[in-house]
Amino acid sequence: MNASLMTLEICVMALGTVLMLADFWLPDERKKFAGYAAVAALTGLLVISFSGCGACSLGGSAFNGMFVQDGLAIFFKRFFIVAAILVLFMAVEFSDRIAGGVSEYYSLIVFALSGMLFAASANDFTMLFVAIELITITFYILTSFQRGRLVSLEAGVKYLILGALSSSFMVFGIALVWGTTGKLNFNELAAVAAQFETSKIFLFGVLFILVGLGFKIAAFPFQIWAPDVYQGAPTPTTAFLAVGSKAAGFVLLLRVLFTAVPTVTAHWMNLLIVISAITILYGNLCALPQRNLKRLLGYSSIAHAGYLLLGVAALSASGQSALLYYLAGYLFTVIAAFTVICLVTRHLDNDDVSALAGLNQRSPLLASTMTLAMASLAGIPPLAGFFGKFLLLKAVLEQGAVNPGYYCLAFTALAGVVISFYYYFGVIRAIYWSKNVVDVSPIQLSGPIKVAVCICIAGMFWLGIFPTTALDMANEAAKVFGK
Amino acid sequence: MHVGLEQYLTVSFLLFALGLLGVIMRRNLLVIYMSLELMLNAANLALVSFSRFNDNLNGQILVFFIITVAAAEVSVGLALIVALYRRRQSAHVEDLTTMKL
Repeated sequence: MNASLMTLEICVMALGTVLMLADFWLPDERKKFAGYAAVAALTGLLVISFSGCGACSLGGSAFNGMFVQDGLAIFFKRFFIVAAILVLFMAVEFSDRIAGGVSEYYSLIVFALSGMLFAASANDFTMLFVAIELITITFYILTSFQRGRLVSLEAGVKYLILGALSSSFMVFGIALVWGTTGKLNFNELAAVAAQFETSKIFLFGVLFILVGLGFKIAAFPFQIWAPDVYQGAPTPTTAFLAVGSKAAGFVLLLRVLFTAVPTVTAHWMNLLIVISAITILYGNLCALPQRNLKRLLGYSSIAHAGYLLLGVAALSASGQSALLYYLAGYLFTVIAAFTVICLVTRHLDNDDVSALAGLNQRSPLLASTMTLAMASLAGIPPLAGFFGKFLLLKAVLEQGAVNPGYYCLAFTALAGVVISFYYYFGVIRAIYWSKNVVDVSPIQLSGPIKVAVCICIAGMFWLGIFPTTALDMANEAAKVFGK
Repeated sequence: MHVGLEQYLTVSFLLFALGLLGVIMRRNLLVIYMSLELMLNAANLALVSFSRFNDNLNGQILVFFIITVAAAEVSVGLALIVALYRRRQSAHVEDLTTMKL
């Protein structure tokens, strides 16, 4: 056993515990600093993970192969830590809207992060189940954290019921897969999976596991929860849900599909193509009439789950690395958008698109951030979203010779992008060309949140203009499946 | 009559289907939540019986994890439903309609 591989997870767990205990001793007006302390600690861990020293860059496996530290795991761990840091910046700004237990809120974000780190390294169904539940149960609480607001509670209950439903499907699927094959470890399962391809019970098991993972990434037909939960949850939770929870679903999906049951995946090519296409169309079409910003981004996140599934459906190394690259761009873009929403709606009851009216006069920085985020989500060059979509479509078209369905899929994705221009530019129009601007008071920004916003903008441009570094990292991570 | 793996699995499938039916048909949040627990236990039954008939203990260990996680899920879930009940004075799904298009 090699427990030193888990140093990062252990540090994050310890940080979460310390933050929770800090709630007892810190006076109320100092609780803000607990959030900044968490940001500083996580930044330290991120630097350590890049510096190459310590256990973070070691490869290997622990706990009988349940826990692996490979290129993919390291890529996703860095990704999750960056996401948690940016979300914590936002959570500090949000703290005045949380009635009680602010440090608890920070510590729950950190605990959710630890679940994501375990998910990045999961190589066994037991680990997959525990990691996914650690994330999901933490998110039930994070979603309903504003107990005074009915929408927050309602969102929490809806997430709870649908989340528990999907996890019971997943557990039943794991039971069936284990019952037929006798293996829980992904590598061991891959060795025997080919013999069981004709067993209906085994195939049902795999399908049920995919139901559970499809719920995490909000893919059609398991997307029903997304708009309501995105709308009702506190804004930092929504941002973390959109980025962290979705990415955790994708890393587990990649591992199950390409490490555990690669032979079954190859047979299910058409299923993946159809799900990806319907998810893109559903998300984009339903986003059209939305007036609530967070709900609009909820539907847009369904559409983006569809774009990300393009990389899975392509069943190729270039598809997988395009997916990883796209997720990196999505991280900065979505967190930028939610940070702006969090700051603009501080004194408002609702988060309608009209809240953005006159934002260019109230705060030019926020107005340009939101414009860039929307342009990146829509896929306008030279931002991260454009290059990501380009890579995903390229990966899909490369496979066109194998199955003509891939051409239809690429066409659907392009149609989805065109539809999405309408509602993304609706948001930009609301910022600059609103007719009835009621509030023109300038928005005061604190120093740390300016830093967070600038990091997001820099990330969007860096990934869009100089994609080489990030693409190399993504290619390195995707090599895990080539072995 | 000899009771073998098939019978156990049939019961497990039935329990799972009953739980799913309960989630879809019932309107009370608490009953829905009970049905969800039934579905989890159906999976536990399947795991334990596979474990017994295949002479492999890994499944029973997974059951312990599932029971623990389910307990955590129930404590959070009940707290949430109670909090919602206090605000709304109702635990029916028809009343969860604050958020619409």
